[in-house]
This record gives sequence, C-alpha cells and structure tokens, in this order.
Amino acid sequence: MTTLTLDVRDVSKRFGEGDTAVAAVRGVSLAVEPGEVVLIMGPSGSGKTTLLSMMGALLKPTTGSIHLDGTELSALSEGRLPDIRLRQFGFIFQDFNLLSALTVRENVTLVAELAGSKARSARDKASALLTDLGLGERLDFLPEKLSGGEKQRVAIARALINDPTLILADEPTANLDSKIGHEIMRLLRRIAKDQGRSVVIVSHDQRIRDIADRVLWLEDGAFKDMVTMATDPVCGMAVERERVVSGNRDGETYFFCSNGCRAEFLAADGQGPRSWVRAASALISRHTTPTGGRRGGD
Amino acid sequence: MSATWLLARRNLGGNRVRLLASVGGVALALSLTLALDAVYAGVANQLTSYIDRAGADVWISQSGVRNLHMVASWLPDEVTDQVRAVDGVADVTPILYATDTIAAGEERAVAYVIGLPAGAAIGGPWSIAEGSNLPGPGEVVVDARFAEGAGVSIGDSITVLGGEAKVVGLSEGTASLVNSVAFVAFDDFRATRGGAPVVSYVLARVASGADPDAVAATVERQVTGVTAQSRTAFSAEERRLVMDMSAEVISIMNVVGFVVGLAVVALTVYVATLARRREYGALKALGARNRYLYGVVLGQAFLSVAIGFLAGIAFTGLLSFIVAQSSLGLELALGAASIAKVGVVAAIIAGLAAILPIRQIAGLDPAVVFRRGAAT
Repeated sequence: MTTLTLDVRDVSKRFGEGDTAVAAVRGVSLAVEPGEVVLIMGPSGSGKTTLLSMMGALLKPTTGSIHLDGTELSALSEGRLPDIRLRQFGFIFQDFNLLSALTVRENVTLVAELAGSKARSARDKASALLTDLGLGERLDFLPEKLSGGEKQRVAIARALINDPTLILADEPTANLDSKIGHEIMRLLRRIAKDQGRSVVIVSHDQRIRDIADRVLWLEDGAFKDMVTMATDPVCGMAVERERVVSGNRDGETYFFCSNGCRAEFLAADGQGPRSWVRAASALISRHTTPTGGRRGGD
Repeated sequence: MSATWLLARRNLGGNRVRLLASVGGVALALSLTLALDAVYAGVANQLTSYIDRAGADVWISQSGVRNLHMVASWLPDEVTDQVRAVDGVADVTPILYATDTIAAGEERAVAYVIGLPAGAAIGGPWSIAEGSNLPGPGEVVVDARFAEGAGVSIGDSITVLGGEAKVVGLSEGTASLVNSVAFVAFDDFRATRGGAPVVSYVLARVASGADPDAVAATVERQVTGVTAQSRTAFSAEERRLVMDMSAEVISIMNVVGFVVGLAVVALTVYVATLARRREYGALKALGARNRYLYGVVLGQAFLSVAIGFLAGIAFTGLLSFIVAQSSLGLELALGAASIAKVGVVAAIIAGLAAILPIRQIAGLDPAVVFRRGAAT
C-alpha cells in the first residue's frame, strides 16, 4: 500500500455564524500520493484558496481532518504549525512574494536558516539549488532585477530549500506568459517525479492541465467532477480521459483526442511497437470517489 | 549575521528616503536634547570658571553660604587672620564680591565684581590679554570680550559699582553667555559699602601636600561662623545651583526631544512595516514565527535609532566646535553622562516605536499572501 502524502478527509470550512454563515468548502476529500501532481481548478469564489489554506495549515477546517505524512494537521496546536509549514510544506505564490530587500540567494537562505540550518550550509545549499534552477548568474541580484519566470524559479527554490514533503502552488503561472508558465510547470512536474515530492496546484490556467496527473474541478466548495489526464499516443495532445474516445490494445486502454487518432492507432495494431506508442506514458488507471478524490493507490 | 539582523538591516536600507527621514528625524530630536544639555553644561563651566581658576584651594564664606551665584556672604575682617592661623593653610586672600551691572556708554552687562587687595596672590584674573592684572585705586580690569563689545580699550573709563573706573587690564576666559568678571581695588569696593570692616570670601591656598577637604574641615572647626569648602566642592555647589535653576527647561526640552524622536521613529517603522505587510505575511505563511518577525521590526527600530543617535552625537559635536570658533561667548560641553542619558532615551524610543508595528504583525493573517497584489 502506498503511503499518502496528503489525505484530506471530508473537510468543510464555514465562515461566520447563524444566518450569515458561509460554507466556503463542503465535504471535500482528496488523497495525494508521493510524486503526484494534482491540479485544482474552478471559478472564482469556488473555495480553492480556502482549501489550499487548509491544506497548507494556514487555516483550520470547521469539520473533517487533514493528514500530512500520517500526522493530523488539523489536530495540532497553533504553536506547532509554523514548524510544520517551514519543514514540510513548500509554498509557491502567484505574486511570488519574494522579500524585495534581499538578494535571490538570501531569499532562499533565509528560509533554511529559519528552519535551523547553519548560515554557511544554508548558503551553500541555496546556491546549489538556484544554480540547478538556472539562476547561477543571478544569485546576488535583487528580485526587482529579475523577470517573472526567474522570480518564480526563486520562489520554487525557496519552496524546496527545506526538502518539503508537499509543494502547494497558488496560481503559479498567473503572472507569467504562456511559454514561461509552461516552463515553470514542467519544472514543477520534473521536481515531483524526480524527487518524489507531491505537488498540489490551484490555478485558472487551462494551458497547464497537461502537466498534472489529475485535474480536479472545485465549484461551490465541492469537487464536481474529476478529470484524469492522458496523452493521445498518436498526436501527443493532452486529453481528459473521461471526455474523449478510448481504445484497447494489448490489454491496455488508450485515450485519443479524436476518432481519427483512434482509428490510426488501432489500424497500426500488429505492426510492431512504434515510438509514439511508447510515448503514451500518461496511461493511468485509477478508481475515483464520487467527489473526485482518490483514496489510496491501485 | 543572523537572519533577523540581515532582514532588519536590508529592510531599513531598502528605502533610502525613508531611512534618511528616520535617521535624520531621530538625529535632530536627540541633538535637541544633547545640545541643550551641552549648552547648560557649558554655561555651568563658564559660571564656575572664576571658582575653578582663581587659585584658591579652599573657599571660606559666611556660614551657610555655599556658592557665589545669587548669594551674599559677609564675614568680619578678623576671619582672614583666623583662617591664616589654621594648620595646613599656606596663605589667604580676602575678596569682596557683588553682582553688578557694569556699563560703557550704551553697553551694559551683568558682572561678578571682585574687590582685590593690593598685591593679591590669588583671586585675580588668571589670563591677561592686555595691560595689568591687578587694579589699583580707581582702576578696573574687565573681560576682553566685554571690552570689545563695548568698544572700550585700555585707558577708557567704565561705570562699575556706581562709580567711574579706568580700564587698566583686559582679562581672558572671564566671560560667559550670561555675565563676566570685573576686578576692582579692594579699598574702592569697601568704600562703596561705607567702609564696613567685612569681607565676602576668604580664599585660602593650602600647604604643599595638604588635603583641601581636610583643611576646609579644620577651618570650619576652628573658625566660628564660617562655611569652608574645597574648591571642588564649592564649584560643584555652584554647578548644581545652575543646573537646578535650569532643570525644568532641560526637562521640558528632553520631553520634546523624546516625543519628536518617538513620533519620527514610530511613524517610519510603522510605514516601513505597512509597506512590507505582504512580505511579513509570506514569511508567516512559510513558517516564520512571530518572535522572529518581532525581532526584525525591533531590529529596524533599534538600528535607525542607533544610527540617529550616533549622527546626533556627531552633529552636536560639530555644533560645539563651530560655536567654540565663533564669537558667541558660548561653550557647549558634551559630557559622557549626557550621552549615556540620551542613549537610554534612544533605546526607550526604539522599544516604544516598535510596539505599533508589532501589534500589526501579530494580527496579520498569513493568508494575505493568497490575495492578489503587486508581484515581487
């Protein structure tokens, strides 16, 4: 059985009392595995930020529970939460929220020092991390001298410096152009897969759906539908499994953007393996709950 | 450098205009207090210069009289000989003393007028710019700065103790912001008092190796109706009187300096915190504890006050130098006690100034980072 990174169990959040009470999140459940990238989408006011705040231990749920690596966050005292946030979460924000008075390296080093690292080792680790992210030439720059993509990479380095279990990203591409936004998302996906860190992203950006292992739709505080992404083995397009045509070959299920791709794929059956067939790595077979969350692995 | 100091320092230096306003405001506010203290200390120095430099080791006055300023002291003539006879006393000089207004034409000035016996070894001017240091009958020695202001030179006449006297000497270092010292012949002074056989003070020099305080105590035991003090003690009493007289003014100005400094630092630190509210929210969200953030704010307040304090000392020192080079006749004495006092005040300012921003941070919701704003 796979250990879950994040396990959100029937969580609700209500603001206010009596007649004026507003239910921002209603009975949401979500399980995230190590190395999984989950994208939560939904209209404004749907409860995405409230849910993200609860998952990030910034807000306590009214009912339900949230578990991170087996620890029930929602049961911890307020005094213990900062340490959990510092060591087990990596936050990436839409507005980057870098400290404008500190250099790129200091922005990252500071967070490591807050977690108890010695100054020298924090500095070395930050330098290495930033260099890995392509910012080796920008270490002593102030954030104001960076492009949006560079700022977001600094934010990613800051999120990674304390080796978090879970990365929470709030609209990480909103202030970036399409190309840079995609680069950032691919970077996040690579980090998730290479380092086994789970990533939960809240975004309006339809263009980044293809990097997620799962796309969830939050509306009126609840998951309405779950979409699982797959890659069309013929044209390479990211497709939602639940909304497109599929076909079976060699006992596996494949998903296609159109009947044309499906026909081409099936017509090739028996002609031996083709490169685009091997590329169908997004083949996913999962069971889902009615609210769209997934409990456990296969 | 710790993470707290790093961020405090960078936050402070990040906005040069705000830093300048904060440091400048604190420097000016603290300079106000420092300069006022220095002025009063300087005036006290000047007012005690005659006591300190007239050459007496022990001052003997009418019983209960412990200083020069705003008092009258009358001793019988024979006290002079009685003091001379005390063990440890080397020699004595009786003087007559009064506060008077001396005038030369339209120029009038308050002066300590000292009646000096002929051939007095001590009690006279200690530095002479021009002419004689001992006035004879009908003569007067005045301060050179007074003479310059009044357009008087050697050989001219001025009005002193209600009569005319010819200027025969110009002394140096005998003027302060508020008065000067003028020296006349003992007998002339006594004549203005109807020839009464009295003196104001007896100035004594002690024998080599004798302790002035011990000699003063012996004089008090052996001579009735007198108060005897060493020069140091007599000078301290004079200084204390001056400072007591100005204590209220100093206190008021200290409060003004404190309030202005507090207002400037509190406002700038508050504005700086407000401007970085989102960054503090991000740090909270990332897991920084409140005590760390409070440390950053306190660090900013203490840094700006410390820089302002040093700038204030430098400014007051510069002012002292400029004033000393001018012809104002004013001395600014910047003392360690005053610097220590203002340092403590500065520390209190920093602590109080940080309260409001700390309260703001305490109530800051880390979820502020999820609200949209300027991207940094």
